[in-house]
Amino acid sequence: MRRFRSADSRVLAVLGLVLVAALGPCTAFATLGEPELTVQNDVAQLRASVKSSQTRLSYRVHEIQLPSGTLLREYVGANGNVFAVAWQGTSKPDLRQALGRYFDVYVAAPRSKIVDRKHMQIQQGDLVIEGSGHMRALSGRAFLASAIPSGVNLGDLN
Amino acid sequence: MRALRTGLSLALCLMAISCGGGGGSSSSPPPPPPPPPATANVTAVIVDGGPSGNSVNTVFTSVTVCVPGSTTCQTIDHIQVDTGSYGLRILGPVLTLSLPVQTLTNGNSLAECTQFVDGYSWGPIALADLTIASETAKSVPVQVIGDSKFTTVPAACSATGGILENTVAAFGANGILGIGPFELDCGDCATATHGLYYSCAGTVCTETTVATTMQMPNPVTRFAADNNGIILVLPAVAAAGAPPVSGSLIFGIDTQSNNQSGTQTVLTVDINARLIMTYNGTALPKSFIDSGSNGIYFTDSSIAKCTDTGLTTFYCPASTLTLGLSIQGQNGVMVNNLTFGVGNTKNMLANTTFTAFPELAGTNPDATSFDYGLAFFYGKRVAVAVELKKTSVGTGPYIAF
Repeated sequence: MRRFRSADSRVLAVLGLVLVAALGPCTAFATLGEPELTVQNDVAQLRASVKSSQTRLSYRVHEIQLPSGTLLREYVGANGNVFAVAWQGTSKPDLRQALGRYFDVYVAAPRSKIVDRKHMQIQQGDLVIEGSGHMRALSGRAFLASAIPSGVNLGDLN
Repeated sequence: MRALRTGLSLALCLMAISCGGGGGSSSSPPPPPPPPPATANVTAVIVDGGPSGNSVNTVFTSVTVCVPGSTTCQTIDHIQVDTGSYGLRILGPVLTLSLPVQTLTNGNSLAECTQFVDGYSWGPIALADLTIASETAKSVPVQVIGDSKFTTVPAACSATGGILENTVAAFGANGILGIGPFELDCGDCATATHGLYYSCAGTVCTETTVATTMQMPNPVTRFAADNNGIILVLPAVAAAGAPPVSGSLIFGIDTQSNNQSGTQTVLTVDINARLIMTYNGTALPKSFIDSGSNGIYFTDSSIAKCTDTGLTTFYCPASTLTLGLSIQGQNGVMVNNLTFGVGNTKNMLANTTFTAFPELAGTNPDATSFDYGLAFFYGKRVAVAVELKKTSVGTGPYIAF
């Protein structure tokens, strides 16, 4: 599962790790739909640290530990753009930061006819945002449906 | 006659079928008979449409809060009973009392950004004397959501996204009684900030750590007695649904004659209140049982979904499906061969007088989770024991049924 597919992706992975290392202890948080390098813009605000960076078949995953303890994963496609973010923890991450220009779309999106406090499933245009869980254990994800690399299983974005 | 009726009522109570209190009219003729009077540790619950009239599979009760140490009190109905959260939270607009807000050592007020999956609420953490049935808790922290003196929601709170649930309409209840299997609404907020607790000087609020005694507790744990957990008892509901149904919320487990464990199966839960449910041959490690979920939420791409606007994540099979499920506790105890029904959501909702739907199901955005909501509780007597608290059959956190 986590094996690199080719020498190229190995090089990419190493470069990714070098990038992450270069950004230092307070690093890596990108924004949905924007380049991986938006990371640097957000560093100061989130005071986060990267736990790991992995290259999978057709994308990279940065696993980020927020100061709150919440785990945030960002998924970067071959074009260098973030196509998905996912989180789990006691509290939610700063979604305004993580979703960028999609945050307002999310907040304004119409709700299901049946709502409770333990679920959320919203699709608005290309944006899909979903959540599940209960107090002390919240998880969710947001992705751009058209940007999911082919062959990626949605179940792996969590 | 009256004694006989009382005796019968008590007997019914002991059988814990539908024991309730409060609100019963004594002058209207039967049927249906008035609910029996509340005993010390039992309060009535009802699955109805809630304050907005459009809730489904949502169970409510009433609580009485008082200004601490006083007889200035208010009884508030339609407080949602939620085994998937912690703490009593009341919507400010329905609260006529002025409850004292807790102050931190620096003199600032304590407030909370309460986060739910679909949104968030904001308000101060006050103190109240709480009474439910005859159980009392003195000076227990309660949140006043949407308090008129705390109208400025911190940007970091609104950045957690979703709907601001600060009104009765947005919240869908006059409040919520979080009585899940843990003691506090945050595991380690005394030493870490999670974007939950805030220190407020006027409208300027910053994230803070806070002593556990000031955090939002499962209020049951603050009762003088019967404080190791709860038992929620609801009647069986017809597959097609039913108009409002009544049940009982019993406080304490193995503390009185009406809350004995008997032969219940005990399933312990993990630190995230999770069980392992196996559906269709796949073990789902992030599963949970939750009175605060209004459907049965699980993923099965073979079941037809509704096509109607606003219902596209709910199931609408042509005919009702009967499906199998097993539930395993973290203690390894397994309950096999459970079945549940999945009905046509659109057809069910067509009957607008119905509020209880045992076969209302929808997709779960998390493919590794099966959330068995209030439907699980219909026709059962479900105990929820709080972490570290002992009963005759184990130590919490557990769920038993």
